[in-house]
Amino acid sequence: MQNVASPGLSAKERVLIDQEVTSHEGRPGALLGILEAVQAANAHKYLSMDALRYIADKTGTPPARVYSAASFFALFNLFPQGDNTICVCRGTACHTRGSRDLLEKVCLDLGLGSQDLESTSEADKLALTTSDQKFTVRTVACFGQCALAPVVEINHHILSHVNERTLQREVGALTRGR
Amino acid sequence: MPEKTISIRIDGELVNAREGQSILEAARDHQCEIPTLCYLKGLSSVGACRMCMVELAGTERLLPACTTPVQDGMSLRTKSEKLTLYRRMAVELLLVERRHICSVCVSDGHCELQAMAKSLGITHLRYTYSAGRLPVDMTHPRFVLDHNRCILCTRCVRTCEEVEGASVWEIASRGIHSRIVSDLKDPWGQAHNCTDCGKCVQACPTGALAEKGYGVHQMVKDTDRVSRLALRRASHLGA
Ligand code: SF4
Ligand code: SF4
Ligand code: FES
Ligand code: FES
Repeated sequence: MQNVASPGLSAKERVLIDQEVTSHEGRPGALLGILEAVQAANAHKYLSMDALRYIADKTGTPPARVYSAASFFALFNLFPQGDNTICVCRGTACHTRGSRDLLEKVCLDLGLGSQDLESTSEADKLALTTSDQKFTVRTVACFGQCALAPVVEINHHILSHVNERTLQREVGALTRGR
Repeated sequence: MPEKTISIRIDGELVNAREGQSILEAARDHQCEIPTLCYLKGLSSVGACRMCMVELAGTERLLPACTTPVQDGMSLRTKSEKLTLYRRMAVELLLVERRHICSVCVSDGHCELQAMAKSLGITHLRYTYSAGRLPVDMTHPRFVLDHNRCILCTRCVRTCEEVEGASVWEIASRGIHSRIVSDLKDPWGQAHNCTDCGKCVQACPTGALAEKGYGVHQMVKDTDRVSRLALRRASHLGA
């Protein structure tokens, strides 16, 4: 009976969610804690619809509220993330030092759609993943490292004063390991 | 326990209000009409539309009447040039956020947004539409959701949760990407807890939620009925 609401969920994932639901029970902000833990445990760092449905079911939360929380916070991913994450800062300082060009360049190099880029305005959060699931390119509003602008973070490693050449080199190193 | 009575001034007139009442409720008790869109009597107030802004003597900041509780000695203005300007701007921005094409809408002539625009003398838009064409969900056997007409007032969200107890709707994402969603953004027709009661449709101020089978300007909503049910429910729960 228990996997009726989430046929696509593996037994392992179900056990994990059961555990998280139990350990967060009765705590304020439980839902966010559960979502965070479940995403962190996922191999592709995302929350699948099956997982969300199962979490709603287990916590007795209306599914719409679960989806609302998961889609509101930039922390949560609703799609599988690439093995490597390239995060380009689109804050004011980085923008004035050319971060848009960096973003466009890296997307171009990885073959990510330019139409997606155009349809997202400056302030939007962007997260594009290559079809081979190797790279995810995303943006943030500011790393708080404006003196080092433009800033790009690759796999949680901050690169400062980035230009197209250095970015290409760093990404290239990862691509060769592809 | 008898409620404490406090006195406030609304547009110069001294009126009595009950402690805990919102400015809006106090004003309406005394036949003072403050325009609203997201407020619906009987439902909780969220302050989403900014239509009900009023001026409080002694401060520059405008206050939303629907979510601000009355306080002893408040002196409020509900009508002024400044307020009209703000309300106009708020309605104009609502209108450009989605593709509101009244002439082909089921709610043409019965739409609260349209009526509000009319009362504020808005005849055309000074800005371009900020959203492209959005989808229309026709999957429910009896009802339709047209995102192009939604003003994100959350009246449907609150009605479904507070009156029907089904909690089908929520707002997903944020900013310009905000959308009303049923369940996990599932088609409405597949929403698990929807009882097909139609209350959300009746509560919706625009043509965003409508019943199937109605033609242009035929859809008249019965919001009073939703309010009545909401109040019955509240009294039943002893709230
Ligand atoms: S029809 Fe009733 S149960 Fe279904 S979404 Fe609307 S208010 Fe909720
Ligand atoms: S569908 Fe209607 S009631 Fe619901 S948020 Fe949109 S405009 Fe408001
Ligand atoms: S703007 Fe990029 S780090 Fe602040
Ligand atoms: S009615 Fe007060 S903000 Fe909408």
